Amino acid sequence: MRRSTWTTKLITALSVIILLVIWQVGAVWLDAAVILPTPGTTLSALVSLVQQKPFSLNIITTIGRALRSFLLIFIVGSFFGILAGYSKRVHAFLVPFLVLFKATPVMSVILLAFIWFSSGTVPLFSAFLMGFPVMFIQVEQGVQLISPRLREMTVVYGFSPFRRLTHLVIPSMLPSIVTGAKASLSMVWKVVIAAEVLTVPRYGVGSRMQLAQVHLETAEVLAWTLIAVLLTAVGDMLFIAMLSLPKYIRRIRWRKRKVEPCN
Amino acid sequence: MQLTTLSKTYQVTEAPLVVLDKFSYTVEPKEITALVGPSGCGKTTLLRLIGGLEKPDEGNITKVEAEEGPISYLFQEPRLLPWHTVLQNVELVLRPWFEHKSERVARAMEFLHMVDLHNYARFKPDQLSGGMRQRVAIARAFAYPARLMLLDEPFQSLDTSMRWSLVKAFLTLWEQDKRTTVYVTHDVPEALLMADTVIRLTSRPMQILETLRIDTPRHERSLGDPKFIAMQARFYT
Repeated sequence: MRRSTWTTKLITALSVIILLVIWQVGAVWLDAAVILPTPGTTLSALVSLVQQKPFSLNIITTIGRALRSFLLIFIVGSFFGILAGYSKRVHAFLVPFLVLFKATPVMSVILLAFIWFSSGTVPLFSAFLMGFPVMFIQVEQGVQLISPRLREMTVVYGFSPFRRLTHLVIPSMLPSIVTGAKASLSMVWKVVIAAEVLTVPRYGVGSRMQLAQVHLETAEVLAWTLIAVLLTAVGDMLFIAMLSLPKYIRRIRWRKRKVEPCN
Repeated sequence: MQLTTLSKTYQVTEAPLVVLDKFSYTVEPKEITALVGPSGCGKTTLLRLIGGLEKPDEGNITKVEAEEGPISYLFQEPRLLPWHTVLQNVELVLRPWFEHKSERVARAMEFLHMVDLHNYARFKPDQLSGGMRQRVAIARAFAYPARLMLLDEPFQSLDTSMRWSLVKAFLTLWEQDKRTTVYVTHDVPEALLMADTVIRLTSRPMQILETLRIDTPRHERSLGDPKFIAMQARFYT
């Protein structure tokens, strides 16, 4: 990760301010709230949204959908990724599926899914289909990162399959699993909201966005967009925090252990 | 350990590569047997067959009772798990053999002490030098309750003084618990100083040229000794 000093932080802050100024100037110049409301109007729309009654329900429903599809992607993607990484046959079998999933436009998936399923299931299904290849490809590559030399060492020193899994396979693959999970998680948010916009389930950030758009409440559309951006950002942050948790725990344990004499 | 008519052929792009052709030899138990031969003559293949990493096309390997069971293998590289500490790397191979963690840690520390790395127990392998990493591998090989040790030029990648100190570290550990050891090398002086029996080998397919028996106790051996100079000379003809 790049080091952030106070200068770089200042530059980032400056860039945010410039963005807001451009927005403000553009809105004043256009002078039409339907096309582009000012940042202030958007903010007050956001505040009134938060105060509305089913606000948390909309957010929670969307988060629930995103997390469920992410979990599904994580489990299924890892499972098939490992299988395909170890077996050329499984890989050959899964290639057409992957090409299909990767090449199909998100919108066709959503539209087709809407024909097949109820509106609540569509976001889940579409996000899974879009995120699965990302996770799968990373995990499959991760299997190739397992050193054959270290594997041989574990064979000679009589590691059981379980010990090999926990001490060789998983640690070797961890970087790829993390990359895949991160990439598919940020993709999941976008697809879930897009699917909600198109299928308008009862609750959901995307549904609200669509309704606001129909009523030409541009400030509200922008406010919901801000919420979506925040959700993605918070999701990423939580994910990173979760990753540093084991390191943190280890440091505490290690400090405790340091007190006891070695050997 | 009896090696009987071992054969191994690799299929390398059409032309078959005969590495071992009916190779037979009897390794004396609880001794160090050094195999000296040119690079690529099949020494490593023989070691891999003994270690069970590969199967012979033909022939078999019969071990005496004292050699049955777990095998320690010292590779050309240390082959340590980079995400574990030095201590964990040694402790991990002891898991099935010692039930209590305290027991395993104590044994691991004991052997790390012998290779003079007890102060580095909490270090990760990539924080150590190449020689130190190979010493961890030696500690692991000895801590593992193996009845048979296989060494595949484990000191090759190091400079002369480091090699010599590792050889000494190895011999100190070995003298305390004599296990049947097969040692593959192309370094003649090292073989003469370490082994009870030194075998001179031809290039592929590997055959025995001559078997040298060295009865001089290890601590009395010297490369300057006329007897050892004469033995060395046989390898450079």
